[in-house]
Amino acid sequence: MDPVLLQASDWQFVLENWQFLLLGTVVTVLLTATSLGLGFLTGFPAGAIEVYGSGRLQAAVSTAGVVLRGTPIVVLIVLFFFGLPLPRLGTVPLLEVDLKAFVAATLALGLRSAAYQAQVFRGAIQSIGEGQMEAARSIGMSERQAIQHVIFPQAIRRSIPGFQNEFTIVLKDTSVAFAIGLAELLTRAEQLYLQPGRDTAVMEVLIAISAVYFVLTFTTNRTLDYLNEVYAVPGGNE
Amino acid sequence: MTLLRVEHVDKSYGDEEVLHDVSFEMQRQDVEVIVGPSGSGKSTLLRCVNRLTEIDDGAIYLDGEEIHALDENELRRRVGMVFQDFNLFAHRTARGNVTLGLRQVLGMPREEAEATADDYLERVGLADQAESYPAELSGGQQQRVGIARALAMEPELILFDEPTSALDPELIGEVLSVMRDLADEGTTMLCVTHEMGFARSAASRITFLDDGRIVERGPPETLFEDPEHERTRAFLGELAGIQ
Ligand SMILES: Nc1ncnc2c1ncn2[C@@H]1O[C@H](COP(=O)(O)OP(=O)(O)OP(=O)(O)O)[C@@H](O)[C@H]1O
Ligand SMILES: [Mg+2]
Repeated sequence: MDPVLLQASDWQFVLENWQFLLLGTVVTVLLTATSLGLGFLTGFPAGAIEVYGSGRLQAAVSTAGVVLRGTPIVVLIVLFFFGLPLPRLGTVPLLEVDLKAFVAATLALGLRSAAYQAQVFRGAIQSIGEGQMEAARSIGMSERQAIQHVIFPQAIRRSIPGFQNEFTIVLKDTSVAFAIGLAELLTRAEQLYLQPGRDTAVMEVLIAISAVYFVLTFTTNRTLDYLNEVYAVPGGNE
Repeated sequence: MTLLRVEHVDKSYGDEEVLHDVSFEMQRQDVEVIVGPSGSGKSTLLRCVNRLTEIDDGAIYLDGEEIHALDENELRRRVGMVFQDFNLFAHRTARGNVTLGLRQVLGMPREEAEATADDYLERVGLADQAESYPAELSGGQQQRVGIARALAMEPELILFDEPTSALDPELIGEVLSVMRDLADEGTTMLCVTHEMGFARSAASRITFLDDGRIVERGPPETLFEDPEHERTRAFLGELAGIQ
């Protein structure tokens, strides 16, 4: 059969399967959320340790960062899936998500994101002038109090553009969970066009899911831009 | 009554001796002005008093207690500091700048801290700017917030490190006038400043520091009219000439 690009019947096929793709979209969104959450909860302290820590802890954190940033994400995800002693956790009905694969994907995407978020946060902390710490210490605040009440609040605001960037990257990179068969958007897309006689619909299906990724990135970025504006402090990003 | 006693203080950075055998005393309510050329160690001396910098040798006493025997946070609560670059907390309003120490260091409840902050902002003439962020204030206003922030901790001594040097000339007056009011009210102040008008009218004593050493120290009349050292005359003459 001669695969004619973008024919009406294939678009029809995409539309008929919108629910099937929607379930994949839900998994993609969930995986993005858990990965970014893990990335933030780990990356934020890791960035702080890189700046304020010392000794073995600091060395361990920065080595872990170098390794995670230097490994292809597909390799990480496959390694975590087959290499970690994760128990079989069963499958979520409807979404048809293998929980073990979901956990492995969250760990891979989350820790890799943590390694990048740590860099974002570290840079933001280091961009805060020395004078802020001195001013805090000069009124009798401890170093801990100064970090908590003066440095972090400013550093977090300055990290928002970097975190926003991370969000876009993680969202799109959830598609590598395809490599371990997790039923996210790309995996489901493949399941559609691999059905017998549907190889003509490859382009249509991929274009459709790209549109989904685009809409998700675009709307979330706009929302974050808006929040950024609402919570902005005059001169806070200088 | 002696509030601050600096005894034979030495401080080096690497091979460079920045303070050499510096000794002086301040009584409560004194206004001490330190002058000296750039790099003579003025900032370093101030920073040794609140231990932002540690001395190598000698001793510093606050109200009879050696400062290294005190908890450093306790010391800094008792010794306020006003910076050349203001160093206001950029993410907090004028009021927020003042309340932070009250809340975190003194453990004051929020409402009391806010009321206290507003009192101090009023004292520096900024009652109407309590909600403004530093980036929305002029340099002179920012520095007055900096003064309010230091004052609110009710320190026994306030250090001023060239508080007007970063200001446009037309904004210097408002800061000096606040400082003059403080001096009149009996605040003990140790000021590095080259504002000779302020020194002449407000200082109890002027110290001329050069190359890490106290060259000469005395009441303003003596230093301006009849200094012991030619170097003092030359330096003060030059400063007066600039203004
Ligand atoms: N943290 C530091 N590390 C190394 N050298 C320093 C440090 N702080 C100050 N110095 C040096 O100590 C000397 C005295 O500096 P200090 O800042 O006390 O001078 P100053 O009288 O306040 O000068 P200025 O009028 O320019 O503010 C200078 O030579 C400076 O380079
Ligand atoms: Mg200086």
